Amino acid sequence: MARILGVLRLGADAMAAGMLAAIFVVFLVQIIGRYVLGLSLGWTIELCLTLWLWVVFWGSAFCLRPSDHVRFDILYLSVSRPVQRVFSAVAALAIIIAFVVSYLPTLDYVDFYKIKKSSTLRIPLNYVFSVYMIFMTMIILRYSRVLIDFLRGKADVEGPITSYELIDTESAR
Amino acid sequence: MSLAFSICLITLLITASIGMPIAFAMIVSAVVYLAIAGQDLALASEQLIQSVYDSFVLLAVPLFIVAANIMNAGAISDRLLEFCKAMVGRFKGGMAQVDILVSLIFSGMSGSAVADAAGVGKISIRMMLKTGHYTPGFAGAVVAASATIGPIIPPSIPMVLYALVSDASIGYLFLGGVVPGLLMTLVLMTMNSVIAHKRNIPAEEAVPLRKIPGVTLRALPALMMPVILLAGIYGGATTPTEAAAVAAAYALIVSGVFYRSLTIRSLYEVFLDSARSSASVGLVIGSALIFNYIVATENIPAALQTLLVSLDLSRAEFLIFVNLLFLALGCVLDATTIILVIIPLFLPTVRALGIDPVHFGVVAVVNCMIGLITPPYGMLLFVINGTTGIPIKAIVREGYPFLFALLIALACLTAFPGLVLGLPRLFGYEG
Repeated sequence: MARILGVLRLGADAMAAGMLAAIFVVFLVQIIGRYVLGLSLGWTIELCLTLWLWVVFWGSAFCLRPSDHVRFDILYLSVSRPVQRVFSAVAALAIIIAFVVSYLPTLDYVDFYKIKKSSTLRIPLNYVFSVYMIFMTMIILRYSRVLIDFLRGKADVEGPITSYELIDTESAR
Repeated sequence: MSLAFSICLITLLITASIGMPIAFAMIVSAVVYLAIAGQDLALASEQLIQSVYDSFVLLAVPLFIVAANIMNAGAISDRLLEFCKAMVGRFKGGMAQVDILVSLIFSGMSGSAVADAAGVGKISIRMMLKTGHYTPGFAGAVVAASATIGPIIPPSIPMVLYALVSDASIGYLFLGGVVPGLLMTLVLMTMNSVIAHKRNIPAEEAVPLRKIPGVTLRALPALMMPVILLAGIYGGATTPTEAAAVAAAYALIVSGVFYRSLTIRSLYEVFLDSARSSASVGLVIGSALIFNYIVATENIPAALQTLLVSLDLSRAEFLIFVNLLFLALGCVLDATTIILVIIPLFLPTVRALGIDPVHFGVVAVVNCMIGLITPPYGMLLFVINGTTGIPIKAIVREGYPFLFALLIALACLTAFPGLVLGLPRLFGYEG
């Protein structure tokens, strides 16, 4: 099970890195197309925006570790472990409730766009926006896991929220 | 302010302070707002999706992140440090001067203060500590203060965000940042020199003159980057967003072809790392824009304009008030949130008072960057503490003189709009 999850995670990471690399390449194609070949490529901008939307929500769904998020952690880091656990659990519960209650209305909204196609690539917009549903689903699952870990009494439910290799200030290495 | 909005703010305050990621805290409180106001709960998602999908200028953000990460991975920083050491290492407090100068050059290639501190800043902290003449707190303070220059000299992610909410031209904002960035460098170097003389911090061994051409030549491909970037934008060849892609491509060529320091493996790591940063930054931007929408629905900017205009504030009084407010908010809020949510509140008043939007934008961004080094919430303090283990307390204690120097620069920029607007006007800005 852990191994399957590991492989899936590698795949999700590769997809995010690949999409970002694609934005970069498509942008270069656009610039070369316009300034070197004198072509105005309408599809490049739309493709980049679509990929950017996907990088943000795909990345947030699968690739962000707790330490990658921007957060205000002064209070969190200054309280004891048991209080931290409660903080994490309360935060997880709030996120789950907010995402669950807005899940169906959002699904409606995304589904509504099946009648509309994107302007140049003619992709139905509900496919383009579907990544948001993936994001919502994964966030609900991820924070449910935090909540379950809390209820089972696991000591560290959030995982490390800072992750850097430290340099030794004494030896400067 | 409606009841729904008050409860929404309280929710935001509580959720953010217990350590919930800021993006989620904003989404959660937006949903609370919509529920109490009896609006469609999908509106939060809708705003989030549309603000990410609709904004062409935001595409500059991931591309600037890629460019900065390639430069950090590709030994460009090392060559630049070597070059700066040859330039200013011979003065008192030399290694710290090297860091400030390298931050200035690096800022012409990267648009993010965090990238500067985590990349080249980390290396210069190590170099300062190796000399044995600098305390860890001092090294951290110099790097934190000098990293604030990063988003002032173009390119700049915060200025892209300001352009997004204010409709000011990105090109002129970028140009408007050049002189302020140089001014910040000047005040920081002066302050460092004063401290170095007082504490008698020795200079580095001077690099012999005959070696300087070689060092410069090795750093030249990296030094050319800002030139290419600016020439591209102001020569009219590329839009600022395209310039971000060109910058990344150039960084790739320099590290891959000239310096041969990138492998396929490290390139993959660069893209994965950049995808993570882009996702986390994009999520914060998108959720701040939901808030922006709620604040607009509540008609708060207009109400604030009526209030501030009725107070009959002069331009100077207004600017002083806003600066003090932003500095105070900078201690507790993230810069992205201030730019996307708080600054728009004041834009109608800025227009009503006839303050130039480019001048206001640059001053506000400089102010927000100072907010990155003011405790308790200072992103640069966290990054340096995170990458080096230097205690935040030590950085803050040694940081006051540099903070003071930056505040003087901010006051000058506020008082003399010509410092900001001179260069854009030379390039045809009518304001």
